[in-house]
Amino acid sequence: MLRFTAERFVGMIVTMLLVSLMVFIIMELPPGDYADRYAFRKYSGTGVSVTEADIQAIRVELGLDKPMLLRYFDWIGNIVLHGDFGQAFAFETSVTKVIGDKALLTTAILFGTLIITYLVSIPIGIYAAVKRASFADYGLTTFSYLGLALPNFLLALILLYFANRWFNADIGGLFSAEMKDAPWSLAKAGDLIAHLWLPAIVLAWSAVAYQLQTVRATMSDELNKLSVTAARARGVPETKLLIKYPARLAINPVVSTIGFDVNRIFSELPIVAVVLGLTELGELLLRAYLDLDMYVAGAILLLLTFMIVFMNFISDILLAWLDPRIKLGG
Amino acid sequence: MGDLLTVENLTISFRTDEGLITPVQDVSFSVQKGRTLGLVGESGSGKSVSTKAVMRLLPGSAVIAPDTRMHYTAKDGQRVEVEKLDPRSRAIRRLRGGEIGMIFQEPMASFSPVYTIGNQMIEAIRLHREPNKRQAREIAIAMLERVGLSDPATRIDQYPHEMSGGMRQRAMIALALSAGPALLIADEPTTALDVTIQAQVLDLMRELQRDLGMGMIFITHDLGVIAQIAQDVAVMYLGTIVERGPTAEVIRDPKHPYTQGLLAAIPSLDRLNARMTPVPGDIPSPTERPTGCPFHTRCVHAIAGLCSARTPREIAPEPGRAVRCWLHDEAGRSAA
Repeated sequence: MLRFTAERFVGMIVTMLLVSLMVFIIMELPPGDYADRYAFRKYSGTGVSVTEADIQAIRVELGLDKPMLLRYFDWIGNIVLHGDFGQAFAFETSVTKVIGDKALLTTAILFGTLIITYLVSIPIGIYAAVKRASFADYGLTTFSYLGLALPNFLLALILLYFANRWFNADIGGLFSAEMKDAPWSLAKAGDLIAHLWLPAIVLAWSAVAYQLQTVRATMSDELNKLSVTAARARGVPETKLLIKYPARLAINPVVSTIGFDVNRIFSELPIVAVVLGLTELGELLLRAYLDLDMYVAGAILLLLTFMIVFMNFISDILLAWLDPRIKLGG
Repeated sequence: MGDLLTVENLTISFRTDEGLITPVQDVSFSVQKGRTLGLVGESGSGKSVSTKAVMRLLPGSAVIAPDTRMHYTAKDGQRVEVEKLDPRSRAIRRLRGGEIGMIFQEPMASFSPVYTIGNQMIEAIRLHREPNKRQAREIAIAMLERVGLSDPATRIDQYPHEMSGGMRQRAMIALALSAGPALLIADEPTTALDVTIQAQVLDLMRELQRDLGMGMIFITHDLGVIAQIAQDVAVMYLGTIVERGPTAEVIRDPKHPYTQGLLAAIPSLDRLNARMTPVPGDIPSPTERPTGCPFHTRCVHAIAGLCSARTPREIAPEPGRAVRCWLHDEAGRSAA
């Protein structure tokens, strides 16, 4: 297991480096660079005519004149060695300051969503498989399909409405008004959790529907396996038997798709965030692109992809632990 | 020697989309302490279903008829009325594994692939014999050695996929025996094995059964195997036991036309050039169970008008033997 983990860890690092190179190339792709935007922004409407030489001077000042590979190594070196993501040109401060809080909140939403997804879909999927073709099974299946059928933003609006009517919750945003600008504290973290559940449920619902069906299907298969009958014939108590034998294998496909879930949450988050008035990374990413603010865009892209790669690593380790046969192939 | 297990009038039906089917009808047999009962029949004749009913392992769609009696005498002498137990009760769980062990045809599929052999053995031992983990492990290692696995202290921590087919079947036997059952149900344990390994496993099972003084139900479709391992035999056809008695007598002098057909169908080394003589016809589908004697559609001796209309009762043509056939029931024939 240790060797397997080490191998997968090295694989993750290599993947991340390749991803970072790709992210950097993507950042370079749009025509023009921030020097153009900067000149345009600074002198537009002032009547000052800007020459190519002026832009070149800005370029040198910002360090954009160096060859691309060199800038890549500067960039990634600073991130790895100093945790410094570079300058956010448009904000005239460091990228870390600009994205710091938003990255944290996006991560909170991500993990909140994942936790709800798995806490709901796995036990209910197992239950539905055991009670196959019962009223409870059909009821749960129908309810979960609602999540697949309804678009997220609609779900967000509906939940927002009911949360406000029934719980009198001031929904919208991730913090209540008085906590918004307060420094981090336990009370603020509690406030975050009190607000987090709504976007997490909205984002989790369709994933729950999907994973619930997966668990139900694999669990139904596993329940018919001879090894389950054999364990029952040895007198293993039913609940322990279900968890130890079929359920352990039934959650296999769920664990192996953690990475997909992360990916999907990131792509659905921006729309939900607009409806619920959340601050998160997606919106900032778009703005950074429009401004050609490459280090902000790069940092966001990098964080999102790193998160996916990292969760894939976690999923690999969990899979190997769930099913020891996987390590042989590794 | 007392009866370990007595099954009387076992009838099992399944609710299916095509209606109620009854794969086992009015089956009675008994197993004595220290003896082996061979249950022989074609696939689909209800051998496995009958023994699963004894363990109450049938799925929820199965119904056991109300006049079924299944009595088991536990190791402490207590009589258990198995048909009355709730399949989820503690009492049936004590029976499963601890009193009645079961081994299956597919050793690979009957182990869970994600736990070591030892994990699954120790679980069974701790459930029924010895709650202490260290001692349970020692019992497991001793049992693996007993079934002839080399280096059992290493084998115990291996996964099923790290073993060969023959080794897995030995481990499966060790797993079933480790909880100390008084009755072992072996459901075609040698069918999936190579012929040479088959002989070794048969020898091993016979030896273990004798040494441990267990009763055994040995399910197979191979009368040759029955002759090697079972003292008593019951021949099943389409969910009914058509003939039972001591193996040697049944093989020497089969009474039922189906048993006669089965014995004639065994290929012999003396008659290599002769064509094989199969039982004519095909086994009918359980949804289209023939009326009267289930075998009448394939029977060369069928009595027109009688066998297809009326179900024969079980009679004793000789002491210790039983057969369900109108040919041997003169009294019943004249009454009809």
